[in-house]
Amino acid sequence: MRLRTDDDIYRARLVYLGPPGYTLPVQLPYAQYGLFVLLVPLYMGIHWLFSQRFEIFPAWEIALAIVTTSYVFRHVDPDRPARMVIRTALTDWRRTREPVTERRDPRLVARRVVVRQAIT
Amino acid sequence: MTSNDTEYDLDDAVSDVVPSVEGPATQGPVAVFQPPRRREPAEPDAVGDEPGARPEARTADLRSDLQTAADRRAAEMRAAADAATQAQRERAAATRRDPEPPRAAPPLPSGPDIESPFLELFDSEAAEPGSVGRTAAPPRTPAAPTRATPPVTRVDGPYGRTVRRPEEGPAGVARRGPVRADTPPVAPPPVTPSPVAPSAVGAGWADDDFDDDFPPGRADGAAGPATRGSRNTPVSGAPTGGGAPRNAPTSGGPRGTQGGDLAGNAPVSGGPRSAQTGGSAADAPVSGGPGNRPVSGVPRNAPVSGVPRNAPVSSVPRNAPVSGVPVSGVPMRPAAEPRNRPVSAMPVSSVPVSTVPLSSRPLPPRGTPQAAPRSAPPDPGRRQAPPKSRGKQVKPAAPPKTSKDRDAAQELEVTEIAGHLTFTPHAVTAWYVLPEVRWAFRPDAEREALLSAISEQYAGLAGFRLHLRRTTRPFPADQWAAQLDQLTARPLPPVPGAPGWGDHLVAAQRHLREINHSEGQTFLGVTFARRALGDSFSEKLLRAFGKGTADSERRKLGKQVEQFDEVLAAFGMRGQRAAAGELEWLLYRSVALGMSPPDLIGAVGHGRWDSGDLLALTEHIERYRTPYGSTVKLVNRMTGEERHVAVLTVGRMEPLDIPERHEPWLHFHERLPWPMELSSRVDILGPGDSFRNLEHRLRMIRSQQLDYLEHGMDAPPELERLASRALVMGDEMTTGLPVDSARAHGWHRIAVSGASREECLERARSVVATYSRELRISLQHPKQQDQLAREFIPGEPVANTGYLRRMPVRLLAAALPQAASVVGDRRGDLIGRTAGTCRRPVFLDPHFPMEVRERSGLSVMVAEPGGGKSTLLGAMGYLNARRGVQVTLLDPSGPLARLATMPELRPYSRVLNLTGGEQGTLAPYSLIPTPQRTEFPPGPNGDREYEISVSNARAERRMLVQDICSMLMPPQVAREASTATLLRHAVRTVPAEETATLDDVVRCLASIDDTGRELANLLLDTAEMPLALLFFGSPPGDLLSTDAALTVITMSGLRLPDLKIEREYWSAEEALALPMLHTAHRLAVRRCYSGDMHQRKLVGLDEAHFMEGWRSGRSFLVRLARDSRKWNLAALVASQNPKDILGLDVQNLVSTVFVGRIAQDPEIASEALRLLRVPTDVGYEAVLASLSAPDANSSGRLGYREFVLRDVDSRVQRVRVDVSYVAGLLETLDTTPTGQAAGQGGKR
Repeated sequence: MRLRTDDDIYRARLVYLGPPGYTLPVQLPYAQYGLFVLLVPLYMGIHWLFSQRFEIFPAWEIALAIVTTSYVFRHVDPDRPARMVIRTALTDWRRTREPVTERRDPRLVARRVVVRQAIT
Repeated sequence: MTSNDTEYDLDDAVSDVVPSVEGPATQGPVAVFQPPRRREPAEPDAVGDEPGARPEARTADLRSDLQTAADRRAAEMRAAADAATQAQRERAAATRRDPEPPRAAPPLPSGPDIESPFLELFDSEAAEPGSVGRTAAPPRTPAAPTRATPPVTRVDGPYGRTVRRPEEGPAGVARRGPVRADTPPVAPPPVTPSPVAPSAVGAGWADDDFDDDFPPGRADGAAGPATRGSRNTPVSGAPTGGGAPRNAPTSGGPRGTQGGDLAGNAPVSGGPRSAQTGGSAADAPVSGGPGNRPVSGVPRNAPVSGVPRNAPVSSVPRNAPVSGVPVSGVPMRPAAEPRNRPVSAMPVSSVPVSTVPLSSRPLPPRGTPQAAPRSAPPDPGRRQAPPKSRGKQVKPAAPPKTSKDRDAAQELEVTEIAGHLTFTPHAVTAWYVLPEVRWAFRPDAEREALLSAISEQYAGLAGFRLHLRRTTRPFPADQWAAQLDQLTARPLPPVPGAPGWGDHLVAAQRHLREINHSEGQTFLGVTFARRALGDSFSEKLLRAFGKGTADSERRKLGKQVEQFDEVLAAFGMRGQRAAAGELEWLLYRSVALGMSPPDLIGAVGHGRWDSGDLLALTEHIERYRTPYGSTVKLVNRMTGEERHVAVLTVGRMEPLDIPERHEPWLHFHERLPWPMELSSRVDILGPGDSFRNLEHRLRMIRSQQLDYLEHGMDAPPELERLASRALVMGDEMTTGLPVDSARAHGWHRIAVSGASREECLERARSVVATYSRELRISLQHPKQQDQLAREFIPGEPVANTGYLRRMPVRLLAAALPQAASVVGDRRGDLIGRTAGTCRRPVFLDPHFPMEVRERSGLSVMVAEPGGGKSTLLGAMGYLNARRGVQVTLLDPSGPLARLATMPELRPYSRVLNLTGGEQGTLAPYSLIPTPQRTEFPPGPNGDREYEISVSNARAERRMLVQDICSMLMPPQVAREASTATLLRHAVRTVPAEETATLDDVVRCLASIDDTGRELANLLLDTAEMPLALLFFGSPPGDLLSTDAALTVITMSGLRLPDLKIEREYWSAEEALALPMLHTAHRLAVRRCYSGDMHQRKLVGLDEAHFMEGWRSGRSFLVRLARDSRKWNLAALVASQNPKDILGLDVQNLVSTVFVGRIAQDPEIASEALRLLRVPTDVGYEAVLASLSAPDANSSGRLGYREFVLRDVDSRVQRVRVDVSYVAGLLETLDTTPTGQAAGQGGKR
């Protein structure tokens, strides 16, 4: 039996070419635009925290969002969705080399598990 | 006293036998067998010694709180490890100081001999091994004997040295409860300021209450290993000094004498724990110590004695003076070792030593900055022993780090296990155990049928989330050894200077542990029910009352879950409901991923696990991770075991041809020699879901194509290809069976573990490499390892959404993690391991077919020359001889005769060299025994059977003699018809009794006519050769005595002819080899027909291919196979060509088949496969050719060889014979010239 996965279908690269009639010079995956759109308000909010006002054209925020998006998507591939990359970055965010010290994770403890020999 | 000493000796003797191998894999119990001692267990000894032993105390121990015991044990282990080394140092120092201590205890086994740290954890008798070791003497003596004879008693000197001293003055007084208050003054001022010795002296001798509570025999009762494990933990009593200052502030002066008194008991209570609990013995109960446990219970019971705990009797530290007592013979140490000093730099002596002698590593007072140097602060609610003295395992943590540690415990998602269901707050999962299935050497059709059945079962679970989990259980080597020992009624008596039967078994068990055999266990969890809000709320509510889920909910689920039983129990997976205990095991194994399992305790302790015990053990697994790290470190606080785990996840997969070319892709990992764990989280999508999913994807692809079109750009070609593929799949889904359309979307992880980070990563690399090379599956090693490791735990969330694999259920079915390769019985000797797709130990008992399966005991070994037949034969002969089986080996070429030179066999073996034999040794008539009437059942039927078999024996004799005669004659003459006629006439004339000889035949021939005379002369001509004389005349009487355990019949110097050459061209010498081999085979078996019918016998016959082409040869094998059951005779027949066996048409009588390397002749190979009953012409011939293939890169010699083994249950498996645990066997059996030289050189 020749058995194969269906993964290749899900591996198709779907990119946004631009609005009808106008082709963007760069073709980026849809998800990248999505992340960008999320990041701009985030950076604007951060900016607001400091300055207490909104810019009309948030140039810095857009630039930062572009940089961040491209950095995140450098690690994204069909097997590693952006969500996973961001999550890994957030949870493991400290440094990129193996550090000398270790952090202790909470022990996973099963002491409260009730055990019955039968269902009823 | 003496009894103690003898016990020491005994234990020491035992400790010689039991391995104290480092490393977690070798920590397990090893059943030890010392035949002389085996018959009388150690308990009576202990019990006999202590008449005062109280059984109820023991039973109370059994119920002791597991948690506390574990905690205490954890602390002790660390203390022990630490103290052991220190003790050695101390002992050395002491001996230097005190050249001749009055009477020291026998030398303790040096080094941290903690072979299984939790051996005696839950054992009643060994409940507190620390106490046993620490106060080795006190518990034994205190009761009646001591009191009766106060003057002499044993004292636990510093560091566990047991010293004998006259008990006088202070110590004596100290034992009297009422006088306690007076004791301090009695003691002379301390000679040394050291608080160490004193408290030790006080320790365990102190009070009467204690005696009452303490079952005196307990310590002794502990089984060998238990005591041994702790004996070298010198310990707690001694380094008490450390604890003192710490307690001083806490307990303060008022506690005074009583405190000191309690302190006396403290060493018993296990130093480390009490250290943690704040020093004061009165605190002990806080630590949750089991009340009745003699050990920990002591302090708690002390107050019951009526003396108010805090009674300000006297503020004078009682211990201090006692310490000063120049107890005769007790080597006083001038000062505690620096490391035992209290951390606070207070002068020890100045502090009122009010309380508990602490463990070897004192803790500073609570609140000092040094507190809790390494580990987590224990849970607020429960006090746990801080893992103090394990500095070497864990990197010394920076002190500030501790502040960062939060209370580091988190409950699992799973809240309840009920039967085979597990409950999390949101879902219920039903768990099934998938038994192992055979994969290797099965016809492809069968395999495909299996995979189809499994995929249908998966398809039947559409809509549910599955958790497929495979864990391992180390092979229970000790159980096997115990069974083997039990089945071995009379092992070969030990020979001085050679390893005895017990050593042999221990070596085998060690070998088993070293090569890390493990058995897989596959679980399948089906998450089938979302829990209603009300249900989980009522569970929360009920938990407050100590109950779990509501009855109504469970009853409802019980009905729902029955559908899965039907689906899963069918052919294919054959899943069985998992028991609650198995789920506990799975939970524990998942939390302690890759760590050595705790069930090793079971073999030594009482072996019972109550529900929840295992789960409680998860408390001790600490998890460390490094950000972006590639491994997770797990540390078992209890045993100190450290394990690094790397979780790999299945990335891209190329198409696989599963039954034909590739192995099941999740079974494949077993090819690597270390155990791994698997976890797959899979959503099964039914036809509707999977079609919708696919259609959505197709629409996206199409719209992308359209986009490109709109923008006037060329769409990448892959889009069209993928779209068409999606169309085809969609078509399959809509029109095909549910099996074709169901999809499994999920995550597949493999956890690789190693003792160190490097080892773990190295292993991970090799797993990745093997997978990508052989299966073209790219395994990825993602970050977020802690989350991934957590995903293995049932009920925990999926770590991340990456590496989602979408596949048809057929491909999931073809993962087949439950595939296994098991062969052999599990009751025989260890002969090697399976060498195919996974590694399992192979045990073979040649008598298993007869005694259990009621089949014939004929085993056949087929291999090319050099394929390892002789070595295997010799190894089997050796192993069986060790077990007291009467072994006869026929080895024409002679190397097996060297077996008789092995020291353990030498007194019991005998070598019979036929080339130097006496005349008549091989007289053909006497080779076939006459049946005895007693061998048949009484009655007329038996008479009849007896008569038939007597006449059968006669006919066989005639046949044999006729064959021998024609073999002795030149082939040209033998071929003539007249020769046959005359021979037959002569043989008929001579009475076919055992007493007849070949000379009678010659005489008879000579008396017939001229031709007959000519034949007689031809026969006599051959008789001129010395070897042929063996056939003539009567056999010597005591040729083969039955008492030798091993008899090797050799014919060294005999030149064996090449059977491919015509007989005419054989030299006279070679021609003689043929009848000699025939008769020698008979001779070897002849020996088995005397003596007890039911005694186990084994005959190994090499070069059996000379039997082919002769009537008597076939009758010989048939007779052997038939008689094997009756006479309990296992026969191993080695041949170079399977055709011999097939040609003799006895393959139906063969129960076990070994086929070695057959590379030269594909025809022979396919016949060998027929013998194995494996399908031919499907590529298995190549497997035979690849057996024991030498590694071209290594210049080393191939040791043991590989065979394909078909056992009596028709399981076929590739095995690697490996008897290397028998020292020197391979060298002895080596048949190559250089090997022999090396072996002899080595011996010299």
